[in-house]
Amino acid sequence: MNGNGYRKIGVYICHCGMNIASTVDPKKVAEYAMTLDSVAIARHYMFMCSDIGQELIENDIKELGLNRVVVASCSPRMHELTFRKVCERAGLNPYLFEMANIREQCSWVHSDSKLATEKAMALVRAAVRRVFFQEPLEARDTPVNPNALVIGGGIAGMQAALDIANAGYEVVLVERDTSLGGHAMQLSGTFPTLDRADCLISSKVEEVASHPMVKLHTYSEVEEVSGYVGNFTVKIRNKASFVDGQRCTVCMLCSDVCPVSVPSEFELGLAQRKAIYAPHSSAVPARLTVDSQACQHFEGDQCHACQEVCPTQAIDFSQKDTFIEEKVGAIIAAPGYDLLPRERISMYPDDPDIIDGLQFERILSYSGPTLGEIRRPSDGKVPKQIVFIQCVGSCDPEHGVPYCSRVCCMYVAKQALIYRQVVPEGQAYVFYTDIRSDAKGFEEFVQGVMAGGSVLYLRGGVSKVFRDGDKIKVWGVDTLVGQEIEISADLVVLALPMVPRPGTNELVRKLNIMSDKYGFLSEAHIKLRPVESLTAGIYLAGAAQWPRDLPDTIASASATAAKALTLISKGKVVLEATVASVDESYCLGCGRCEEICEFHAPKISKNGLPLPTASINEVLCKGCGACAVSCPTGAITIKHFTREEILAEVEALAGV
Amino acid sequence: MTLEDIIQETKTFYCLECGKCSSICPICRYDPNYSPRVIVENALLGLESDLFHNGELFSCLTCQACQLKCPSDVNYPIFIQKMRLMASNDGQQGECAHSGALQSLVRLMSNPDITQRRLEWLSNGYRTSEQSDILFFVGCTPYFDPVFEDLGFQVTDVSRGSLKILNYFGIEPMLLPNEKCCGHDMLWMGDVKTFQKLAEQNAAMIKESGAKKIIFSCPECYRTFKEDYPNYAKIDCELQHITEFISGVIEENGIKFKELKKKVTYHDSCRLGRHLGLYEPPRKVLQAIPGIDLIEMKQNREKSLCCGTSAFTNCDLYSKQIRVERLLEAKETDADILVTACPKCQIHFRCAMVNKGEEKGPDIEIPVTDIVNLVANALEGENNE
Amino acid sequence: MSDFEPKIVAFACNWCAYAAADLAGTSRMSYPPNVELIRVMCSGMVDPIYVLRAFEMGFDGVLIAGCHPGDCHYISGNLKAEERVQALQRLLHTLGLEDGRLRLEWCSTAEGEKFATTVTEFVAKLKELGPSPFRIREEAVA
Repeated sequence: MNGNGYRKIGVYICHCGMNIASTVDPKKVAEYAMTLDSVAIARHYMFMCSDIGQELIENDIKELGLNRVVVASCSPRMHELTFRKVCERAGLNPYLFEMANIREQCSWVHSDSKLATEKAMALVRAAVRRVFFQEPLEARDTPVNPNALVIGGGIAGMQAALDIANAGYEVVLVERDTSLGGHAMQLSGTFPTLDRADCLISSKVEEVASHPMVKLHTYSEVEEVSGYVGNFTVKIRNKASFVDGQRCTVCMLCSDVCPVSVPSEFELGLAQRKAIYAPHSSAVPARLTVDSQACQHFEGDQCHACQEVCPTQAIDFSQKDTFIEEKVGAIIAAPGYDLLPRERISMYPDDPDIIDGLQFERILSYSGPTLGEIRRPSDGKVPKQIVFIQCVGSCDPEHGVPYCSRVCCMYVAKQALIYRQVVPEGQAYVFYTDIRSDAKGFEEFVQGVMAGGSVLYLRGGVSKVFRDGDKIKVWGVDTLVGQEIEISADLVVLALPMVPRPGTNELVRKLNIMSDKYGFLSEAHIKLRPVESLTAGIYLAGAAQWPRDLPDTIASASATAAKALTLISKGKVVLEATVASVDESYCLGCGRCEEICEFHAPKISKNGLPLPTASINEVLCKGCGACAVSCPTGAITIKHFTREEILAEVEALAGV
Repeated sequence: MTLEDIIQETKTFYCLECGKCSSICPICRYDPNYSPRVIVENALLGLESDLFHNGELFSCLTCQACQLKCPSDVNYPIFIQKMRLMASNDGQQGECAHSGALQSLVRLMSNPDITQRRLEWLSNGYRTSEQSDILFFVGCTPYFDPVFEDLGFQVTDVSRGSLKILNYFGIEPMLLPNEKCCGHDMLWMGDVKTFQKLAEQNAAMIKESGAKKIIFSCPECYRTFKEDYPNYAKIDCELQHITEFISGVIEENGIKFKELKKKVTYHDSCRLGRHLGLYEPPRKVLQAIPGIDLIEMKQNREKSLCCGTSAFTNCDLYSKQIRVERLLEAKETDADILVTACPKCQIHFRCAMVNKGEEKGPDIEIPVTDIVNLVANALEGENNE
Repeated sequence: MSDFEPKIVAFACNWCAYAAADLAGTSRMSYPPNVELIRVMCSGMVDPIYVLRAFEMGFDGVLIAGCHPGDCHYISGNLKAEERVQALQRLLHTLGLEDGRLRLEWCSTAEGEKFATTVTEFVAKLKELGPSPFRIREEAVA
């Protein structure tokens, strides 16, 4: 390759059998090409992409010392890669190559031979002029940290963490709550088999907590994320629990003497917990936590009743939040869901016996506040009449959310079934609009529940729910028989929709990813890239992306883990060669490039020059050219698509 | 034309190699590769390859600061102009800013067979006439509007402000509906062919209009008509910058302006200042407005620092450094407003303040306005924008 | 002029418009040979100078073809192209160029027919408008 502007261009015109040759005269085009500036050889052949055709080019490069090649044939979208490889094999940089599309965009669409041939000559002229200006480019790579950060210790986060850890890569798992498991730990039997969720999930929790490749941070939050794909730096806040995890034996003596009782988050208000607490008896990590908002010690009371009884002196009120920095290659966001707040649906009054689906799960659960006996919150009586109301706030653009929350039809059927098993003399009613039971075994399960007696499915809505003495009156309608219905229920269960967990917004900001209008995490492409975000290196899992049940969540988490593994397993990320580059001596530091780029590749910073200037992160740059056009001085150019090259094409096409 | 011809014509052979030019040159201060003295020396030594192949010829701002200092009166700016003409015959040009779009526009405009639609900025309320002794030369402001949209102002406001002032003083000037670019940038970048076409077309249209006097709001147009056109096309008119016109009216009739309580500082543009020697008329105008407190920047009048870019070419880090220097100077005066009399200076200053990146650089924010817009706002009895 | 053949240069984005032009080819659709394509990665890569230079070089029409809004491979490059074309239209309008010589079209990978139709219509429209006023003086080119 001569650096002084000396070019030796080889031009190859393909007949493509009769595809090109029937309209465009390849011989004439080749003869014309020989007249062009810097063209050393011009040939034409039947099939340039064939072995013989490729050899022609390879031999010419080697024997004639060609330093640029033009092939006029089909679309570059067809064979650019083929011919670039030919150049590479012959020792020529693959970017010193250009194609002229004289088939799809010439011989196949024009019938006049003379005009088509003239157009082919113009296209060859343009390709020759363009290739003159092309510079050799190297595809580079950058090293990738061989580990991942998983945000969220619910079932999605845990599954993804296990898949990555079992593949032999380190995982940093950050969970906001005091223990692992998320909402899945609160569930009772799971449809369709009624396996106990807490057993299923506990095994995952144990595996994660004891996995040698998992660095677990519970009661922690992600504070700050910087960097880019393969090279993220994450600052993690470990919140003070005021209990030394190494010393605590979970004997619960402290909890017994603690004077403060507050509603338990884990039991969703159906039971109380103390200010020093573990959310449930099988919480992992096994350690209590002091809730500094509730604890009297922090109100200046200086209460240390717990400290006095602790046999291992595990309680330490002087603990402070600490910060840790981790460097990771990939990030998986699985912050989970919550149910839509009840207050949003005002027609259901605030009443202890009108509860939501998750609360009923706690009642059904053997480890719940009623130890698996079904008793209603107000007076502990066994409810003989239960009303389930589906679509409370979902498919409801006016009062709730317009989307379907996907899991409710199934869990209501399951809850009704468990109720029937535990309270055989009871009667359950289900008000529904649709039954959506589309996955493996689902329809059969619902049919079984409907047919098995003591569960009456009523197709219709509910107009009013109110307390009447020790009953809850439910006024609704059965549209299939066309009758209004009044039920005196002991307990009403509302199927509220899943919404993104509070705090997801802040996480979205910190990670620089996108969320949709409901706050759910946005995927890069709903069909083709369903578990990646648009930000390279950050992946999505679980119900934070859309309402999902356990099978879907676990499948999505494994898919996400696979994506993250493709990034971190190779040890490096191959960069686009045709990226933007900055000549800093022309940079005004105006930041128009930084503002316009969707991929955060250009940044203005102090680069050792007298004023701040732009630099391009080649790992993030996609080579789209937006920044180059926005640059007022021309400091930014796109490799292989420089202004010089494209203007040369324009001028050549004009015949100048 | 040879290098020797240029040296003779511009009296470059008088150069004493004293280096005073380099000491005052703002580009030389920031660009380690540029020195006027070295360029002149290379020319005198006949080192054509050094002169024509390193791009430094196009770094000069042609601001004329050097010429003021030069004890031998070497006409460095014209020397550069002619050298660039030689270079462009060889196919060279500087690094055009905005990818050369503005230069391309001017070349397109130079086509004698086009009929532009360049008066659409003229809204109701501005009075012009088909026949008048006075012609107002608008300049390229209608083309600047779409190009510089992100600078937060309409360049055509300068044209509107000027018309408002002229109307206020009872003048309804002629406007050329097919006015061509004065060609200033073309001439200074060495494209004399295009410049000649523009000059000839403008001269023909002006002659046909019967105008006796041309008023300009742009110092570059003014300088070009006054100093450069005579070599290419005949213009038989009196020429005046709008500040000269206003200061003349102030002297003759005394005007009562409205009160405008503002601290302002005034930037002498290279063309109005050093090239044409007009330092006092804009100052007279500003001082005639009651409430205006005019505070001079450290480098004022002949010592004024160029706004950093000439002919929309070779705009780079050094241009930005020069602008930062000038704007910091303006901020030091504690003025509320930086006033310019050149639309291109305003464009360059505003562009310097565009600060969208993460790292912000020095604080150089200060409101900028053209003197005609300031004056237009101070006209008695007018409903001002 | 009955025998005037307009010359058009088209900038087509690699992901949508260029692919659409290829599809028109594989489907053997027919359109006039007056247009020559330049492949860019994104319609947002088209610098206004390319359009201005094309008119300087005597092209009668310029076509910029990109992805439909929402489909851009680089998220919003096509929207940037739209803004730039609007600014260019103002400049060309002020220069006295007839409306309709600069065209922006959205064309997805599947719209081979739309591409062919667009070109055919554009050629017909330019035949009506006649040669570009900048074409006549070809020595105007620097």
